[in-house]
Amino acid sequence: MINSDLQALITTLEMAALTTIILLIIGTPLAWYLAKMTNRFKVIIEAIVALPLVLPPTVLGFYLLIAFSPEYLPGQLWQQATGKQLAFSFSAIVIGSVLYSLPFVVQPLQKAFEQLGDSLLEAGSLLGAGPIDRFFSIVLPLTKASFITAASLGFAHTVGEFGIILMIGGNIPGETRVLSIALFDHVEAFDYARAHLLAISLLIGSMILLAAIYWLNLPKKNRRQRLVVNTEQVEPNSYE
Amino acid sequence: MSNVLLDNTPLTKDAVHKSAVHKLAQLDINISVSYQQFNLDIKLPIPLNGITGIFGHSASGKSTLLRAIAGLEKNLVGEIKLANANVADKVLVNTEKGNYLKPEERQIGLVFQNSRLFEHLSVLGNLEYAVKRCKNRQLDLNKVIELTELTSLLEHQVNELSGGQQQRVALARAILAEPKLLLLDEPLSALDQHSKTQLLKMILTIQKKLDLPMLYVSHSLDELQQVCDTLLVLAQGKVVNFGNIHRVIHQLNNFGENPLIHQQTSLSLPIRQFNNGHGLAVLALNAQQDIYLTSNKAFENQTQLRCFILASDISIVLTEPSNSSIVNHLFGTIKQISNKQNKVLLTISCGTQDFFVTISAFSQQKLSLTSKQQVYLQFKASAVRTFIH
Repeated sequence: MINSDLQALITTLEMAALTTIILLIIGTPLAWYLAKMTNRFKVIIEAIVALPLVLPPTVLGFYLLIAFSPEYLPGQLWQQATGKQLAFSFSAIVIGSVLYSLPFVVQPLQKAFEQLGDSLLEAGSLLGAGPIDRFFSIVLPLTKASFITAASLGFAHTVGEFGIILMIGGNIPGETRVLSIALFDHVEAFDYARAHLLAISLLIGSMILLAAIYWLNLPKKNRRQRLVVNTEQVEPNSYE
Repeated sequence: MSNVLLDNTPLTKDAVHKSAVHKLAQLDINISVSYQQFNLDIKLPIPLNGITGIFGHSASGKSTLLRAIAGLEKNLVGEIKLANANVADKVLVNTEKGNYLKPEERQIGLVFQNSRLFEHLSVLGNLEYAVKRCKNRQLDLNKVIELTELTSLLEHQVNELSGGQQQRVALARAILAEPKLLLLDEPLSALDQHSKTQLLKMILTIQKKLDLPMLYVSHSLDELQQVCDTLLVLAQGKVVNFGNIHRVIHQLNNFGENPLIHQQTSLSLPIRQFNNGHGLAVLALNAQQDIYLTSNKAFENQTQLRCFILASDISIVLTEPSNSSIVNHLFGTIKQISNKQNKVLLTISCGTQDFFVTISAFSQQKLSLTSKQQVYLQFKASAVRTFIH
């Protein structure tokens, strides 16, 4: 049934969208903190954030599966708070995705914040702008491109996730069955036609998303005629 | 554009004279800032009046001092407070009591060497950034734009501007935040000569119009001599001298092995005559004696002129020279003679004004100059240097 694939698509988009929002909310302060940090703990936190880049997803998935199970504290606390089991739930794959896609959001933001430096923030503070004001009036507009990159990479990477979801989410339609899992199912069932359809859709979708990111990140100057106006030089000058 | 600079209309919308209400008396500084290679120790009350210059070579601590006053310096121990005759002291920082006022709460403006404009905003956007965050606005945005000559640039992106234009935006933006004290950190150092002259005039005009006290940091004595009445000299993080600019410069003439400045006589004299008919202007040194210098039409707007004469440009004669092309000869008494290797620095008083003259030890011996001896100084009109180019 094509309907089950559609449901997998909706689950995937919901998961990726929610993950991206959560990542921006926790990733921004984390990236800021790392950018401003100077002590030796910085490298340790950076390493932890970058770990999902090198670790096989199944390793992370395995430990999360254990942590989410009702026998261990995180799973227990979750069950007490919500009355539902954490493992094999939509919430579980969102939490897993947040951890797994963290470096894709934190690293571009951290780099952008480091490049921005303190000089403009100092200028802003001397004009009366407090820290929150400075973030929204200076940092955000000047690092907008990096936020778009971070959000898009976080989103795209979450859509493409497989191993970790298989470990902690299983394959529950409408709950944890996402596109990559559905594709795997079709291949296992030798339904190559539907596998092709999903695979090509994921490929083209990801392609379009990435192209859009790169286009948005083009410097605006490239599209606009650069005007160098130096009328001041030809104005009659009475100081001489 | 000179009309704007010369007219006397106030910049405030309701023509209230700000200074009457908010005049600051003094900045009390007692701080130390330490880094691995550098220590700044300053204990000094700075009366906030006009433009106070802060002079020193690089790594003398000038910028660190400004950053401390602005609230940007984290490694600071001590106290900085604004003392005012009528109002209670405003403590900017007191590390002992744990008081620290954030930069955004200090109402202190700072113009940086590298404009630090917001690139995502237009020129007008940068100015409005300050206006929006200013409480109790009194300045008229349009008047400030006119005064800083930004009218034709408002819609431009800031990275399209020249260095001089960017600094004018930075200056206008700093003023529009309506600070009680404006700090200027080498505001001209990245500019060409024309832009320097233009911006210095603006700074002077703004200072007078708003009666806004300023602290002006520079490594160029030249700049400071044009605008400052008071000079603070720093070297290796310590205060070397502080006071009236001419007096401080004269004291620096005797400063140690490596003089901080070119030895000179620094003057601020009333203009007696703009042009004596031969292209020379005449300054009144005292009731009896005049100083001649090359005239410039820019003198005509002024009643007082700032100038300096390098000590190496003055020579000594024992009898009044009457057959010389050199127009300036002043009669004076040798006050002090200090020898350094083969050079001799003479301090000669002409009435109440001291002049500084360097001659060779050979000449001193030949003329057998001694203290309290009466001599004539002579120097050419062109040796009297002004800051008008």
